[in-house]
Amino acid sequence: MKTGFNFAYLDEATKRMIRRKILKAICIPGYQCPFGGREMPLAYGWGTGGIQVTASIIGKQDILKVIDQGADDTTNAVSIKNFFKRVCNIMITDRTAEASLIQTRHRIPETTLNKDQIIVYQVPQPEPLRKLEPKEKETRKLHAYKEYALMHVKLYEEISQFGSVIKTWAYPVETNNRYITDPTPIPKFDNPKMNNMEALQLFGAGREKRIYAIPPYTKVKSLDFDDHPFEIQTWDECCSICGSTKSYLDEIIINNEGKKNFICSDTDFCKSNLEKNK
Amino acid sequence: MNIKKIMHVENLTHFYGNQIGCKGINFDLYKGEILGIVGESGSGKSTLLKCLSGEISPSAGKINISLDQGGVKDFLSLPEQEKRQLMRSMWGIVHQNPRDGLNLRISAGGNIAERLLNVSEKNYSHLRNTGKYWMEKTEMDSDRIDEFPIGFSGGMQQRLQISKILSSNPQIVFMDEPTGGLDVSVQAKILDTIKSIVRDINVTMIIVTHDLAVVRFLTDKLLVMKDGIVVETGLTDRVLDDPQHSYTQLLTSSILQV
Repeated sequence: MKTGFNFAYLDEATKRMIRRKILKAICIPGYQCPFGGREMPLAYGWGTGGIQVTASIIGKQDILKVIDQGADDTTNAVSIKNFFKRVCNIMITDRTAEASLIQTRHRIPETTLNKDQIIVYQVPQPEPLRKLEPKEKETRKLHAYKEYALMHVKLYEEISQFGSVIKTWAYPVETNNRYITDPTPIPKFDNPKMNNMEALQLFGAGREKRIYAIPPYTKVKSLDFDDHPFEIQTWDECCSICGSTKSYLDEIIINNEGKKNFICSDTDFCKSNLEKNK
Repeated sequence: MNIKKIMHVENLTHFYGNQIGCKGINFDLYKGEILGIVGESGSGKSTLLKCLSGEISPSAGKINISLDQGGVKDFLSLPEQEKRQLMRSMWGIVHQNPRDGLNLRISAGGNIAERLLNVSEKNYSHLRNTGKYWMEKTEMDSDRIDEFPIGFSGGMQQRLQISKILSSNPQIVFMDEPTGGLDVSVQAKILDTIKSIVRDINVTMIIVTHDLAVVRFLTDKLLVMKDGIVVETGLTDRVLDDPQHSYTQLLTSSILQV
């Protein structure tokens, strides 16, 4: 199919620039590396960072999977998939295990990723300290000098007010015992998956023009206190479609009386679990 | 008893353009000592405090500090990271306006916790107990630990700021007009609190003020400044009771004798 665009939309020089930044980001796990972000045919906030990272590393042999909130069939996922189908003419899949490149928004797939895969996160706000310290100059110093007391003060405040940490998404992590990193708005349920993950994790923020990375087999620790250890969400219910008790469940209101249903947020996991159980 | 010298200042000078901030300041500070710096507005006392606490880097001079762990260091040539680390743990500034030293969007306990978290305390109940301990020590109601300092009175905010600084057990505390904006009865109470605590925990302090009552009450030694230079120095009682320099004489005689 002829599109009039270079393979993967970006020109080769831009791709090289982004790849150089990705390499730098991999060398300094968790460090936010500035890059010359381009305008993409997508509004800021819809994954312009992730799409640029994906575009710069995608090859003709790659099989791409795009998920949005765990689902393969939601607007953001579908439009990004169509975009890459048009500008790269590559294979697209819904199967986590088949994909070599996964772009994601707000979830990490339930299926464990392997060393041949790369996961690209769309990042709404790369700076975990932004809401605590508005000055960019200061947050850079806080990172450089590893002064992370503020982040723990935030957790302290939540425990003192609510009895436990109430942050359930974008729960800050410490990467490789060094940089505090924003894991993007994934539920904290997914945080343990980031630790020692076999796959390479890349993060792209388009508006803020930052790339950061967590290399394979890197220690990722969710912040906590000695006497208030980090915990993930649990549910009393199971998925009403596949019956899974291990996956992250979405709560869905199904009628006007407020009847609730719980289903897996990862649609691919749900489907394959259902097939397996048949 | 061998008293340790923890700060040695030599010929400290700072210019703002052509304007003298402070000039040729020399003094030694010993452990457990409380040094007062007095002088009128514009005499350079705040400039001096800013130089000493690393907020501005002076045009000339030397500051040697000796830390608890390990030998003498040249403070002015320390990298920024070490200076910040010092300010966040081993040293502390009590600002005149407590809003400069506190984060008003986080609770009283959180403010104290921030200081302790800087020295890698990661145990919640310990943070909590230390917070309560210091609030009580500065005569605050420890039940108000989860309230926000924005709802505290000026005197309470100042007490909170002091307990925040002292909670990390600092070696040197810098106080810039600690009772500046407070009314007289609250001033007296806070001075009482400061006095009882410093004797208790043997902290070293440098207090900048224009209030002679404060220095009389708290300090051991005194520097009297005028136009950026130190005009007289000595033990507080000696300087105040037997002033030698004409400016000090003017200063002491200008207190209303009721």
